[in-house]
Amino acid sequence: MSAAIETHDLSKRYRRVSALTGCTVTVPEGRVCALIGPNGAGKTTLLRLLAGLAQPSGGSVAVLGGPPRQDPAFLADIGFLAQEIPLYRRFTAADHIQIGAHMNPRWDASLVRTRLTELRIPLDQRVGTLSGGQRAQVALALTLAKRPRLLLLDEPVAALDPLARRNFLATLTAAVADAEGSLTVVLSSHLVTDLERVCDHAILLAGSQVQLSGDIDTMLAEHKVLVGPRKDTGPIERAHTVVQAVTTPRQSTLLIRLGGPVIDPAYQAEDVTFEELVLAYMGAGEASASRHLTTVGEGS
Amino acid sequence: MTWVVWRQYRMAGAIALALLAALAAVIIVDGVQIAARWHSVLVTCAGSSACLEQQPTLVNGVVSDLPYLCLIVPAVLGMLWGAPLVAHELEARTSDFAWTQSVTRTRWLTAEAGWLLLAAAVCGGAVAALTTWWSGPINAMTGGAFAPGQFDTQGIVPIGYAVFAMALGIAAGTVFRRTLPAIAVVLGGFIGMRLVISNFLRPHYLPAVTTYYHLTSSFTPPGQAWVFAQGAVSSTGTTVAAGWGDLYPALQPACQRLLPSVAGQGKSDSLSAVFSCMQAHGWRGFATYQPAYRYWPFQGIETGIYVLLAAALVAATFVIIRRRDA
Amino acid sequence: MSWVTWRLYRAQAVIAAALLAAFAVLIVVTGVQVASQWHSALAACTTAHSCGSLPNTLFLGSHAVGFLVIMTLGVPAVLGILLGAPLLAHEFETGTNLYAWMQSVTRRRWLLVKIGWLVLAAAAIGGIVSALVTWWSGPNNALQGNAFNPGRFDIMGIVPAGYAVFAVALGIAAGALLRRTLPAIAVTLAGFIAARVVVFFWLRAHFMTAVTSYFPVGGGAPTGVGWQLAAGYVGANGQPIGIPLSTNGAVLGNGSGVGLPVTSLPASCGQLAGNGQMTPAIYHAVVSCAQAHGIRGYVTYQPASRYWAFQGIETGIFVLLAAALLAVTFAVVSRRDA
Repeated sequence: MSAAIETHDLSKRYRRVSALTGCTVTVPEGRVCALIGPNGAGKTTLLRLLAGLAQPSGGSVAVLGGPPRQDPAFLADIGFLAQEIPLYRRFTAADHIQIGAHMNPRWDASLVRTRLTELRIPLDQRVGTLSGGQRAQVALALTLAKRPRLLLLDEPVAALDPLARRNFLATLTAAVADAEGSLTVVLSSHLVTDLERVCDHAILLAGSQVQLSGDIDTMLAEHKVLVGPRKDTGPIERAHTVVQAVTTPRQSTLLIRLGGPVIDPAYQAEDVTFEELVLAYMGAGEASASRHLTTVGEGS
Repeated sequence: MTWVVWRQYRMAGAIALALLAALAAVIIVDGVQIAARWHSVLVTCAGSSACLEQQPTLVNGVVSDLPYLCLIVPAVLGMLWGAPLVAHELEARTSDFAWTQSVTRTRWLTAEAGWLLLAAAVCGGAVAALTTWWSGPINAMTGGAFAPGQFDTQGIVPIGYAVFAMALGIAAGTVFRRTLPAIAVVLGGFIGMRLVISNFLRPHYLPAVTTYYHLTSSFTPPGQAWVFAQGAVSSTGTTVAAGWGDLYPALQPACQRLLPSVAGQGKSDSLSAVFSCMQAHGWRGFATYQPAYRYWPFQGIETGIYVLLAAALVAATFVIIRRRDA
Repeated sequence: MSWVTWRLYRAQAVIAAALLAAFAVLIVVTGVQVASQWHSALAACTTAHSCGSLPNTLFLGSHAVGFLVIMTLGVPAVLGILLGAPLLAHEFETGTNLYAWMQSVTRRRWLLVKIGWLVLAAAAIGGIVSALVTWWSGPNNALQGNAFNPGRFDIMGIVPAGYAVFAVALGIAAGALLRRTLPAIAVTLAGFIAARVVVFFWLRAHFMTAVTSYFPVGGGAPTGVGWQLAAGYVGANGQPIGIPLSTNGAVLGNGSGVGLPVTSLPASCGQLAGNGQMTPAIYHAVVSCAQAHGIRGYVTYQPASRYWAFQGIETGIFVLLAAALLAVTFAVVSRRDA
């Protein structure tokens, strides 16, 4: 299977601020990839670099086999939905459908109309007068109508109520299933539980760097939570990578990335949930690059 | 893409058309009256140059300045339509929508800017045609089509101005990414460029012609010439401009005595005795001017300058829009 | 709130100050030259007894600067569209007015401070530009005596400050009503031009009833004419004598700028002129004949002494318009949904 997205040491600087550094990820085709990270981590930057809306400062990026470029065929293959829901506020949804028809060789107008009608969103009302959630649905429908091979969605569900969110994600999943491997999706969000349901691939960004990326199942298999009495963690640290350690006066809880089997019987190994994993890496990323130790309730 | 541009500028086009039509109505009604008056003057004067030199008032005081108000039309086009073209898309982030459809930015800009520049040329041309026709009688009477002010409102240069102003607006909007600064740049840039070119460059498009003649006869550059200076020059190179306000100090004493001593009688005919004396002392009449037959070459040169400037701005816009982050 | 306004408009204020300073330097430097040119020309013409023809022959200053001075006509419009129109419209467009209104700032206070400072700035800028132009034009006004004429009247004295205040108020009101910057700019430009045109062409001449003075044929026009509105000739019965657009013959007198063609005189006077050259003797005879017939010249004008009264009236009109526009703005913004 070829890679839909391949970046190597990708970086982006804006004047003195580094928005993204050393980003090396691979997203195979047909995956639904979650792009997770705290605010300011570089999610939007990465998405804009992938869409060709921004130029890299360093490193390389390959999307659908080549660098993002000003080429109608390439542009037709990608669908980008920005966080601000960029639509022409004075135009109606119907206007946008017509504009899309004129600006795209592949355009499924009936898809948009059916979807919006199902959602009971008026087609002939100025988009600027719709609610935030309705605008998001319109924008998503327009993006899907392009029938792209790669969907880049920047916080698409941020403005949606829980029901609408579920609906949206269901549509997304159905679209991916219908495409039978030819549609790749990258969507950024904060809502980890939603993402876990829908995504099978993840990129964790924090502090403008990639903390972890890869297949979610593999990620979960590679990490364990070790709970045990408080004692010297040296051997553990040597054998595995400790992502996060929480110590109370009596107990240590370590989230580790397995470097081999866990031999020490003092520790109980538990499976890690995706949310725990994400939070651990987020916390790790926001601190310095060295190991992060949280000490809770330490006595004298 | 053409359809998209039309859809975006439908309303603006309708407004522009309505304004043009209103302007045309006013100018045509006024112009017809002016032409009628000029016709009656021609009939009365029956060819007498002294009669024609009276230069009666052909214009209606009220409307006569309207064609000169048209000088701001290019600036308005550039400010209201050129500046927001790219800047508004970037401000409202609709560029994220427009530039991720299957149309490259180059193609997008070609269509949007292309139609806007064409519209500017058409507007400029329409206004130019109206004011040129309107100025016909005035040109015939004053022979001043080549003079600054008249030159700017007639012929084909208004097309060049309009295209330049539109290109300046589009470029400024692309560079500054915000509509208001772009509008300010269009205002300042357009006015500045127009002032510089018409005051400092235009007189030198082609080397001016200087004709010397006998002071005792008179000489007017024929047709609609652009006269820079006229007067008398002595054998030593001292010049006195026609109007003869500073004539006294420049003259030899023999001729000074012949000057009329009563104020207000400095007209050329009563100076004929003085002129004979001056001529005897080596003075000659001179006129420095651009001849009338150079009118259209100058129109072409100036239009060409503005079109070239516009092309450079458009080229820069294309480069910036491709290279820069959206 | 004043500090907030300053912080928001700091950049514009700096740019405006820089432009004003540059303009001031240019005007002062060239104005000094113009003044000295004027004084030496006066001295020269007095010696040569040719001062009467000076207005027709002397051009003070450079054409470029003179043109720039005329172009200050546009300064109020520029202030209106660059500062007035976006003041409220931009806030509405971007929603930042909500930010301010959800701080502890009432809408009234917000409006009062923003509008107050901008109107003040507009008056100041208009006033400074006008002061510079008036000073620079001093010699030209003395030479040509045309300060009251349309076009020159508009760029000197206090009216430019009034125009600036009006333009800015118009921009603010347009921005408040339309809530979008570009349409507000278009409306401001069109409205300003329309208002100025209406006052300029139709109202100004009638601020006060014009004075009509009579003078003998062939004599000089009355003195103290500030703004000449009309001139011509009347017969003994007080009826104006029709004067064709152009004549192919001799013309009597030109003191008011309008000459009386011999062909318009009663036949008895016209016969005196004959068809030959107009010698001084014949000229006098024709003039006496015309006077005997009760023909007089007239000039309808606004006296020069009314110059400042007219300046005040016109400024007042535009300031009143501005006040009305601002009142509307306050009412609309206070009442409308955010």
